[in-house]
Amino acid sequence: MSEHSLRYVDNGSIFTRIDALSKLIWVVFVIIVTFQLQTNLARGIMLGLLVIVTVIFARVPFKSVWQAGPIILIMGLLLFVVNLFTTPSTSTIVIAGISFGEQAFDRGLEFFLRITIMVLASFIFIWTTDIRDLMTGLVRIGMPYRYAFAIFLALRFLPIVQQEVDAVKAAHAIRGRASNSPIRHRIRLWQRYMFTVIVNSLRKAESTALAIDSRGFGAYPTRTYIKNFRWTMTGIILILAFVAFATWLMLWERNLLPF
Amino acid sequence: MTRKNHSTDKPLVKFDQVTYQHYGKPTPALVDVNLSVRRGSFTLLVGPSGSGKSTLCMLLNGIIPQILGGKLSGTVTVDGHDVSNTSVQELAKSTGMLFQDPEWMFATLKVEDEVAFGPENLRREPADILKSVEQSLNYVGMGHLRNNLVWALSGGQTQKLGLASVIAMETPLIVLDEPTANLDPATTHAVHQLILRLRDEGKTIVLVTKDLDEFMAEADDMILLADGRVIAQGAPRDVVTKHGKKMLDLGVWLPETTEIGLRLKALGKPIKQIPITVEEAVEAFAETRFSPPQITAKVERKENVLIHAQNAEYTYGNKFKALRGVSFEIRQGEIVAIVGQNGAGKSTLSKLLVGLLKPTGGELTMFGRKSKQWKVQDLATQIALVFQNPEHQFLCDSVREELEYSLLAQGIDDKTIVATRVQDMLKRLEITETSDSHPFSLSAGAKRRLGVATMLIAGSARLLIVDEPTYGQDRRLTESLMNLINNLRREGITVLMITHDMRLVDSHIERAIVMADGQKIFDGSPDSLFNSPEVLERASLRTTNLRRLVDGLRARGVSVPDGLNTVDEFIGAMQ
Repeated sequence: MSEHSLRYVDNGSIFTRIDALSKLIWVVFVIIVTFQLQTNLARGIMLGLLVIVTVIFARVPFKSVWQAGPIILIMGLLLFVVNLFTTPSTSTIVIAGISFGEQAFDRGLEFFLRITIMVLASFIFIWTTDIRDLMTGLVRIGMPYRYAFAIFLALRFLPIVQQEVDAVKAAHAIRGRASNSPIRHRIRLWQRYMFTVIVNSLRKAESTALAIDSRGFGAYPTRTYIKNFRWTMTGIILILAFVAFATWLMLWERNLLPF
Repeated sequence: MTRKNHSTDKPLVKFDQVTYQHYGKPTPALVDVNLSVRRGSFTLLVGPSGSGKSTLCMLLNGIIPQILGGKLSGTVTVDGHDVSNTSVQELAKSTGMLFQDPEWMFATLKVEDEVAFGPENLRREPADILKSVEQSLNYVGMGHLRNNLVWALSGGQTQKLGLASVIAMETPLIVLDEPTANLDPATTHAVHQLILRLRDEGKTIVLVTKDLDEFMAEADDMILLADGRVIAQGAPRDVVTKHGKKMLDLGVWLPETTEIGLRLKALGKPIKQIPITVEEAVEAFAETRFSPPQITAKVERKENVLIHAQNAEYTYGNKFKALRGVSFEIRQGEIVAIVGQNGAGKSTLSKLLVGLLKPTGGELTMFGRKSKQWKVQDLATQIALVFQNPEHQFLCDSVREELEYSLLAQGIDDKTIVATRVQDMLKRLEITETSDSHPFSLSAGAKRRLGVATMLIAGSARLLIVDEPTYGQDRRLTESLMNLINNLRREGITVLMITHDMRLVDSHIERAIVMADGQKIFDGSPDSLFNSPEVLERASLRTTNLRRLVDGLRARGVSVPDGLNTVDEFIGAMQ
């Protein structure tokens, strides 16, 4: 039995029952607001909110969060490190006995929090959304179904590519190492992963494309749906609640709250 | 059992002087093909690997030439449409196609959405589609799973969902390209029964399969392809009677009962008609006397234990317990099969044996050391695993480099030794002429042989694990792979096979370990396995066609000795 982190799981949580378009709008709002926030404390609160959403409202299993952890954190950590060493600072802070440039640390943390918030919000969307609902929603707001379906297929392919990477990695591991240089060996393995995964993924993508065409996909400019898209009340509440929270957060960090 | 014959003389499919060459290929895949498929008929499409069966199937729904291009001459007509000038989408109303691995044909996430996908594309009314979805899912026995996610289905359920999706399209023609290649024997039987039910209801069916046992007497037509040419078309009995020997020479899988008849005929023995069912074979050999089989020299089994598992357990991160207290020993020189239904824990066990996973409970000792003390790379010097998809293990740009890599990985870097060993292995596997080819460009059989070679060329491996050795292989390629494996055994290598192929188990294996629901439920000889109906049922296994023949003869009072596990042994014992 396979276990992969980037998959929709229908666990009956509040978030899985919210319509896909409301969630998509929520993700867009999260990203916009994140770029409007001015302090790392406010960004930290936003990240905390997302963690609460992940654990309580979306009920994403800890295993999925743990497995996705490296993907969620890696970009943010990279940007943190780059900024830590490249941003000029006029003062220093000491953490665990190590001195850092204060402005560099702040700047690094800012990038880390921004990226992590964006990736985590996107992952919550993937974990809790039947992509078919997104497709029908996009068609409802006027997108031609072929384009909406392209997004759907791309997301459907993510776990499949991940599965392929796992299989190739396992097969390569048992071939042993043909070079004394671990770095050269690693580079070679990565080249080969890429080659094999791309070739096999392309083949599988071609098989899928042939299969869906042979089931009449694209036969007509429109198609019917057994499940039509419906806006949900919880979706509207989600958007309104988030707008209210984000407004409060931005006013609070700018000291503009009247009370 | 009698059935209503729905077949008419009116052709639903017609190939007229068809020659087709794939884009970029030097030779045509189909040459001068003339054939017809009658409306309401059930047609078997057979031939060795690479004979053009899948190409022919793809012409039936227009994927060729509409999407894959290439050069097509002649005319292919399906349900009145010329495939050269009809879109694939338009042909979807006439032809429903089930592929070998339907997981790739799935376009949605949920079972009911998947069945509805095709009818939705054809703009049928939602209420009508919902009715079709319900009927199709109930037809394949999956009505209770309509809200499940497609990737949570078992192998058999995946295949049945593929079939339901095709049925919901309500096309007059259904094309099935090796729909049971990945399934355990009992699930294969269940899918076969569904196919026969569809045939009984008047659907026109074209089926590519190597499991002909249940279809020889049921099909209206058989088309034999070889090198892209139609060698014969007619009733299965007529085709095997006239062309049976050629079919065997080409490497086509035929039921063992039919093979016995053909071999006896070739030996000049009197035989009224070639049996195409077990019942006919029982009738044909009811008067035969049998002598005990000759004892063939067995490869010596040594006493030293290579693998020892004691209550081994493995639980995945999602708490799925794949292995529940499995205990066994593998001794040097044995040839063992691990069999069982899809999802029984066979693959998890093989991953534990090569060190990719470590047991989460119990003990697993390999070559005298605990599993947890082995690194995967170090264990690779002792155990060679040949994957079902050998492409996953290839790392280099040519066959020669692939073999060189394996030697270097084992610390053998003397240029002369490397060159000599590579040359020897190329010769031994009969792949010398492709030594500069890219491994991905080899034929299916050559890829399999290269997979074995890369794992064994260093000469240090003591245990060879082969995952599904007959998958995607015709009879000739399987025999060639089994010859290679048997030769390796004589050189002292212990062999472990993971397989669904009961014929292979009966003919080549000395010991079978049967898994069900993560537990070992049987460990013994194939003879005692096939005499344990409760084990067979629990593990979704079935006896072979040959065993059913022997049982049938014994039920008729014929004295048939034990140990007739192959066609050769059966014929050899006939007096």
